[in-house]
Amino acid sequence: MTDNAIRISDVTVRYGRLLAVDHIALDVAKGSVYALVGRNGAGKSSLVRCLLGQMKPQQGKATLFGEDVWSRRTTLMQRIGIVTEEADAPPEMSVAAIARFCSRLYDKWDQASVEARLQTFGVPMTSRFGSLSKGQKKQVSLALALAISPELLVLDDPTLGLDVVARKSLFEEVIGDLADRGTTIFITTHDLAGVETFADRVGMMEHGKLVLDEDVDALKSRFRRIRFAAQPVAIDTTLLRPTVMRSWGGGSEAIVSNYDDLAFERMRSTSNIGAAEVEAMSLEEIFIAMAGGKS
Amino acid sequence: MRNALTIAAREFEEKRFVAYAAVAFAILPLILGVIPGISGKSPQETIALSSLIFATTFAVALGVMTGASFVGRDLSDGRMSFYFARPVASSSIWFGKLTAGILMIVGCFGVIIAPAWLSTDAHWKSFWTMSLGPASILVLAIALGLFLIAHVIGTFARSHSPLVIVDFVAALITGVAVRFLIAPLFGGQAVVLAGWVSIALLIAAAVAVIGGGAWQLERGRTDKRRNHLALSQFLWSVIGMALLIAGAYVAWVVSAKPDDIVKTTAFFRSPGGPFVTIAGTTRSRLDYMAAWLIDSEDGHKIHIDAHAAWSVQYTRDGRTAFWPVVNGKFAELWRYTRGNSRAVGTGIPTGLTLWGDFIFLSDDGARIATLNHGILSIYDVAQKRSLVSARAPQGRWAQGCFVSPDRFRLYAQTDDGLQILDLDATTRSIRLIGAIRSNVYLLLDPTATRMIVRTEHSKTVTLNDAATGAVIKTLWNGKAIATSRYLRDGRIVIVDGATMHLFAPDGSPIRDIALGFNSPVWFAGDDGSRVTLVTSEDRSPRELIAIDLTRGIVERRESGVRNWADGAIWFDARPPIEPLHEVIYKDMQNHIVGWNPATGAKRRIA
Repeated sequence: MTDNAIRISDVTVRYGRLLAVDHIALDVAKGSVYALVGRNGAGKSSLVRCLLGQMKPQQGKATLFGEDVWSRRTTLMQRIGIVTEEADAPPEMSVAAIARFCSRLYDKWDQASVEARLQTFGVPMTSRFGSLSKGQKKQVSLALALAISPELLVLDDPTLGLDVVARKSLFEEVIGDLADRGTTIFITTHDLAGVETFADRVGMMEHGKLVLDEDVDALKSRFRRIRFAAQPVAIDTTLLRPTVMRSWGGGSEAIVSNYDDLAFERMRSTSNIGAAEVEAMSLEEIFIAMAGGKS
Repeated sequence: MRNALTIAAREFEEKRFVAYAAVAFAILPLILGVIPGISGKSPQETIALSSLIFATTFAVALGVMTGASFVGRDLSDGRMSFYFARPVASSSIWFGKLTAGILMIVGCFGVIIAPAWLSTDAHWKSFWTMSLGPASILVLAIALGLFLIAHVIGTFARSHSPLVIVDFVAALITGVAVRFLIAPLFGGQAVVLAGWVSIALLIAAAVAVIGGGAWQLERGRTDKRRNHLALSQFLWSVIGMALLIAGAYVAWVVSAKPDDIVKTTAFFRSPGGPFVTIAGTTRSRLDYMAAWLIDSEDGHKIHIDAHAAWSVQYTRDGRTAFWPVVNGKFAELWRYTRGNSRAVGTGIPTGLTLWGDFIFLSDDGARIATLNHGILSIYDVAQKRSLVSARAPQGRWAQGCFVSPDRFRLYAQTDDGLQILDLDATTRSIRLIGAIRSNVYLLLDPTATRMIVRTEHSKTVTLNDAATGAVIKTLWNGKAIATSRYLRDGRIVIVDGATMHLFAPDGSPIRDIALGFNSPVWFAGDDGSRVTLVTSEDRSPRELIAIDLTRGIVERRESGVRNWADGAIWFDARPPIEPLHEVIYKDMQNHIVGWNPATGAKRRIA
């Protein structure tokens, strides 16, 4: 028995000459929430397609619950709920027909939960799927994904098209609740604020590479914004490594990626930097700092 | 299986409007049947025919539209992930969608036709049973074929992949390969076998598309380009294998040997020289007919098209054989000269169409005359061009010969009797030089100066001027004769049932030779000092009888002749230049045997 719900080993995807996913390896522990972030075109969706057995990588492989997802996809999908980036259900079908169709494919199916969830969000069961708004389609996809009480929920940019209320409900009520119940969640998103409270681990993709793969707490503890009254400031990079350095107000601001209190105090005592203020950063701020620093 | 049916049911549900449309088209013929202005005197006929037309159009259109979209559109619109996100095998997705598509086409065809079938009377029911049954199967086969083809084209076109160029080239190669596979079978007049090979290739293609569909979804899943690649690989691999197998089979079919002939349809020999042409249906090859031109002296065999076996013509010097080969709309003459390893096309674009053809050769084969549908032409083989063409009467039969390299004389049997014409390549003119006011059978002397003429019932034989047709002398008048022939030295032989009559070139009698039996006989050869006759099947098995002309006796007999190689399909009516030292026949074991009438020696040729 493996402790990982997901294991991605050396996965590489190419589209002709374009290297979309570049030798990525990552693990997601059972019961954890993994948030994969990255700018558009970073390769997230290609990685998700490999993860779901919808695409065979040119190199490497993805396993779910210890089983190769490419060869065991049909069996594994009984345990996995999926919300795709783009609504993919047949547009001519009614929501009820889609639910009925899906119910025949799974060993376990909670039709009541589907109806209750869609009722909550005001999505009529009789509506044609193609006539629904983008947000409503996401709700339908989510309701279908949750009807099987999945052991793993894969959400590919689930907040795309959702209004503020629906987005808040998704994160707080749905994902939060599932996380509390021990469901493994793999989510790709731009909405870092939303996942910050419950993501256990975060990965960041850039140009096909996984440039960050770390526990959220550890990540947040090593990133700090330090504001100095003086300008400019020369930071001893043997102690703290600034990712971003810029003017701020009358002073200057540094974002460091290897912050610890002891190093900061030593730097302050050895350098003549004057007054300095240390602030914790949100995931979104870290993401922007990292993305900005690399670009 | 359950999942495939679930997906099939979903497809039906999504496309239920198609069923509504089918019902509307089913009712429409019934309405047309009661409108007086449209139905006329036969409402039943209106209902029956309009149903068939609607059902055919609907099924074919549905096949194309459904085939192009049932997988391809889901891929191009990014909706295939809906299925692949579920616990459904890719094969279930494919076969579910495929089943729905096929049942929809078949079902709609049935729905449109059913009310008309139920409402028509006994006469039209008979029409349905006799004609519509096979017609329905054909229509559905075409609709389902288009459904599969549309799927392939839809998948290829929607992927926007440059791989489509490779597919185009592969399709082109396939088409050319099929043409080259089928052509030798048609060359062997094997219409049934060609049909079966075509059906086998179509089944292989259908299997390739059906299997390829399952394979494309298994390998390509949600990616349209990978679907294209997988389908392309599977499709062309299977079709390539099928073509290889079919190619190997066709190669085996055409590799038939003369011994494989189980029923001889043509068995001829050159009047002079050693050529034998044999054709017939072959063992374990259905209706495939093989034909060979065999040099009986060196044993060299040239495989020729079966239809050409009836048209092979030999030069009087016995060195070269010519025959027509279909090349597009017209036939090209091919040539085999003794001592060469293979036959070659002359490159002469003749007007021959393999129907109503008459081919005449100059003694050395340097010039060819053809008569086809009233056009008489002279060709020069070396120059590969026509020297002259003119309108000539084309009747029941034609004979002729080159009286010089530039002049050709035609004996045309028309409804008005025999017409003798002279075509001159130098002056490019044709003129009528003689005529006989009845239909006759004629044979020319070696110099084409005189001819012997038999009436249609063979009761009269006269010696005539070969140019004008004027009678010089009556050689025979009485009971019907069995055969007559000019010998190489100009003497004339006439055989009635029991006696051979020998005449000098001027028609004076030389001697009568009693044969010792009374039976229909044919002329089988002349080696200068003896004549060989062959008895008819009435005295089965046939016998070859060698008659010594000098001594006036039956010199030798050879029995056990199943069939002898006739030299009758011969448009040049002159005797050969060289003596014929061997009579060729098939023995009771079906072997081709050469028999020397002078010595009685036998040898097996093939």
